[in-house]
Amino acid sequence: MSDDDRLLELDDVDAYYGESHILRDVSLGVAGGEVCALLGRNGAGKTTTLRAVAGARPPEVRDGRISFKGEDVTAMEPEDISARGISLVPEERRVFPNLSVAENLHLAEVSENASNTVGRSLGQVQVEHVGMTTEQVYEEFPRLRERNSQQAGTLSGGEQQMLAIARALKQNTDLLLLDEPYEGLAPQIIADVEDAIRRISESGTTILLVEQNAVAAMDIADRCYVVDQGSIVFEGTATELREDDETRERYLGV
Amino acid sequence: MSDEPTETADATEEGGAVVERERTEREFPSWERVRESELFVIAITTVALAVFPWLFARAPVISGVLQGYQDLATLIVIWGIFAMGFNLLLGYTGLLSFGHAAFWGGAAYAAGVFSTHVSSSPLLIILAGTAFAALLAWALGFVALRRGGIYFAILTLAFGQMAYYMALSPLSGITGGENGYTGVELAPLLGSFFLQYPVPGLDWLVGTWTYVLVGVVAVVCVAAANRILHSPYGMVFRAIRENDQRAEFVGLNVWRYKLMAFVISGTLAGVAGSLFTIYSAYVPVQSLYWTTSGEVVIMAVLGGVGSLFGPILGAGIYLYVENVISGVQQLTLPFTGPGEYVTLVQEPVVLLEGFGAYWHLILGLVFVAVIVLFPRGIWGLFEDAAGAVRRLGSDH
Repeated sequence: MSDDDRLLELDDVDAYYGESHILRDVSLGVAGGEVCALLGRNGAGKTTTLRAVAGARPPEVRDGRISFKGEDVTAMEPEDISARGISLVPEERRVFPNLSVAENLHLAEVSENASNTVGRSLGQVQVEHVGMTTEQVYEEFPRLRERNSQQAGTLSGGEQQMLAIARALKQNTDLLLLDEPYEGLAPQIIADVEDAIRRISESGTTILLVEQNAVAAMDIADRCYVVDQGSIVFEGTATELREDDETRERYLGV
Repeated sequence: MSDEPTETADATEEGGAVVERERTEREFPSWERVRESELFVIAITTVALAVFPWLFARAPVISGVLQGYQDLATLIVIWGIFAMGFNLLLGYTGLLSFGHAAFWGGAAYAAGVFSTHVSSSPLLIILAGTAFAALLAWALGFVALRRGGIYFAILTLAFGQMAYYMALSPLSGITGGENGYTGVELAPLLGSFFLQYPVPGLDWLVGTWTYVLVGVVAVVCVAAANRILHSPYGMVFRAIRENDQRAEFVGLNVWRYKLMAFVISGTLAGVAGSLFTIYSAYVPVQSLYWTTSGEVVIMAVLGGVGSLFGPILGAGIYLYVENVISGVQQLTLPFTGPGEYVTLVQEPVVLLEGFGAYWHLILGLVFVAVIVLFPRGIWGLFEDAAGAVRRLGSDH
């Protein structure tokens, strides 16, 4: 991967939760179109990395630079980062439980309009990837159409995950950040979510996912990073990681 | 994607089951349906507000049992607007403000001062008071919304009390200090209708022109609030109430939407405050005191924060207990004693002497009972009951 291909790039990022130093000189790059997995044990700093990219506080990024499409987004507000085409699907309950499925999806349109306004006013955002229409989303996830008037909180865990991903896809998402997409899901459902992620990737959206379930993540990832105690300890393709027994045993326990 | 019609789902769903189609339509109603339902809300509100003073103050039997009177009907509608506006913030956006007295009282003072020095036209007075409240809400919201949760509540409380003490002493040259503002001047409505006069031909129904003015403004406020809540703004407000950080990740500028909700809410409080000045031709300094903010919280929660009309009902119940129940000397069994329309026994059966003095306690008990038994408020209880009846009906 040459540096020019990089859609997202983290350069020696140091991030803190209060006084605790969580990320230490994290550098990583995600190329346009690939599925990249960030693996590691609980507390290694995976989620912190995603939150830093999405602009969530905490963590506080005190040093280093996060750039997206060549633009420095390190100190930006979450909604401005979202306007530039990065969507975060956070872990656990990812939807608005008391809004209906249709309303959850509709929110994306409202915010996208807001985002375009931001883009116009800054004059530097290019909307390359236009989001899916409601109809395309329903084609992709038929279960959501069946349940569109139901409150999102009444969906199963897998359906909620699908809904969160679907909402992200309705926005002009160039980079989809998935935090533990398989967490708490039954193996059969994991396969469904995997399918969905693959299809999204094939449609041209770049994906950076964080996962504790390293085996499942290696199945769909093109490249993997392994994080341990806030530092990157491995970088390579999924095949290379599969063959690197020492790294897998030492940092991932598989 | 902004030009993509939201009805896509039902338009292309020909193959789907009929049930599914209906569900979709309910979710994304066509424009005609929105208009219909909006007209429906306005019509129902108009009819209810037109009949209310008659039912409350003049209807046979009912008004006798209720012991309502015209002025209280007017006051209930004014506070109803206040509570409804307050609830846009508490019920729909999930922000608890303890400083809404600043908007109510601030608008009341602004309306009063305007009536003395600029124009005494009732409509212009309302506009002036409301504009003042909107600006004040924008300024206070700009600062108070920097913090969330309990800190937001404390900040608004502090600002409200600041307004109270400002009016009490440093600004007493304008506000009249402890005596309140007494210089309110009121010209006839539209130059020809004296507010305190009965409406010719309709005085049996609506009473005075004051009530007509208050009622019409209330209908406009309900229509505006209803429109806002059914727009994407309403949906975003509810999303923020559920989880504001998640809303940020969806790409919503949460802070801006919160400020918007705060300003809309403060503006409606300002409409109500201006009407209060017209209603009482006087502004007491207590209108800025924190208890006013507390009262509107109680009204909203009592009536039900999950609905548009609940807080209006809550305002009615609160003021009824405060003004009518508090005046009841003895608690007697219904339909006993000579003063009733329907009398079974001439001799009243007294249950409790000096009953009215306990009105705070009664209100407290009602409040606790509602919170414990019906967390969605009295309106929520009505909705549940209506739902149960409908289910019973559809079983057959």
